[in-house]
Amino acid sequence: MYKNNNYSGKDRIKGFLWLFFSLFILWLLLTSTFYYQEFWVGIVISFIIAITTHEFYIRLGFPPVTPKRFGFFILYIFILFWEIIRANLDVASRIIRPSLPINPGVVIIKTRLKSDLAKIILANSITLTPGTFTLDIQEDRLLIHWIDVRATAIEEATEIIGGRFEKYLRIIFQ
Amino acid sequence: MRKAVSFILVVIIAIGIGLSLQEVPFGKTKSEVRKYCLEKGIEQTGATNIVTSVVVNYRGFDTLGEVTVLFLAAIGLSAILYREKEGERKNRRRSSLILYTGCKFLFPLILLFGAYIFIHGHLTPGGGFQGGAIVASGFLLVILGSRSWWGFNRSKMKITESLSGLIFVVVGLLGLLYGGHFLLNYLPKGIPNELFSAGIIPIIYIAIGFKVGSEITGIIDDMIRSG
Repeated sequence: MYKNNNYSGKDRIKGFLWLFFSLFILWLLLTSTFYYQEFWVGIVISFIIAITTHEFYIRLGFPPVTPKRFGFFILYIFILFWEIIRANLDVASRIIRPSLPINPGVVIIKTRLKSDLAKIILANSITLTPGTFTLDIQEDRLLIHWIDVRATAIEEATEIIGGRFEKYLRIIFQ
Repeated sequence: MRKAVSFILVVIIAIGIGLSLQEVPFGKTKSEVRKYCLEKGIEQTGATNIVTSVVVNYRGFDTLGEVTVLFLAAIGLSAILYREKEGERKNRRRSSLILYTGCKFLFPLILLFGAYIFIHGHLTPGGGFQGGAIVASGFLLVILGSRSWWGFNRSKMKITESLSGLIFVVVGLLGLLYGGHFLLNYLPKGIPNELFSAGIIPIIYIAIGFKVGSEITGIIDDMIRSG
């Protein structure tokens, strides 16, 4: 479907396997049963969709699966939730104060993550925490809208906004 | 004066609605057909989703008509939008990495969700039309998200569309062969609430899902190609 046939066989198999297992896990979550009919139909459907669209998943940049990476991924979900709660309280307190202590502006931060998937996870994590919003990514730079600009220098802003997520993502993806 | 007139009008409308609703018993059904479908539906068709048993089984012929209407609408649209030269797109800049990668990641998952909806049409809310619309929304996401992506094959879309329409009609015609009327549910009905139950209903709904999905994608494709 996608007009690019320069992928090697190994890339294709990796993309296919990632897509197949993602689809099958989604199917299990949707049906929430291991009953044999649903199970086998799920395998067949996942296989058909994965065969036809696996090229979308080839260059996304999935890391190899190891127990350490998986553990850190689970940890990352909790870290993300904790940061979202903290940022929510912070923004809420800014809004209800009559003096409205906001200082909005756009800053640039840098990331050392290489793969596309890692970059969009970082960007979406920053967007999900209230107060910061990713406008765009170009190469290794992220354009961030910030409700309270505390630092304009790239290094400092990177440490405050991206640092809390990036140290975990670097373990998971590199 | 105007206020008085409008007040009187409102009162008249309120009385009219009140009087006409007085005759309708609250919470009780007056419709015999509805009662019949609710009581006999599962036993006669094997589908636990009564809406599906009405749409595909009791009124299956009507659904064939609906699918035809959608088909005609798609044909009409592509005839109106037809141009000899493909429309020129002004902005061919590649979209942002977030959007592009996100679309690539989500597209197969949306396809699976659409397939889940139309495969489970006889068990859960939703069905062929809804699932097909979800599948088409996945294609729309990819077309809008990655502006440079023009790769999908139109003739394959048309073949999918025609084949699924053909399957619907052939499955219906086999009913004529087996028992004497169109869209007769001749396959074993199985145990209600299992995936393989309700005879021909899931087959028809899967065909409708493919048909609606490829048709709406074709409409989107026509609109974008014409500029």
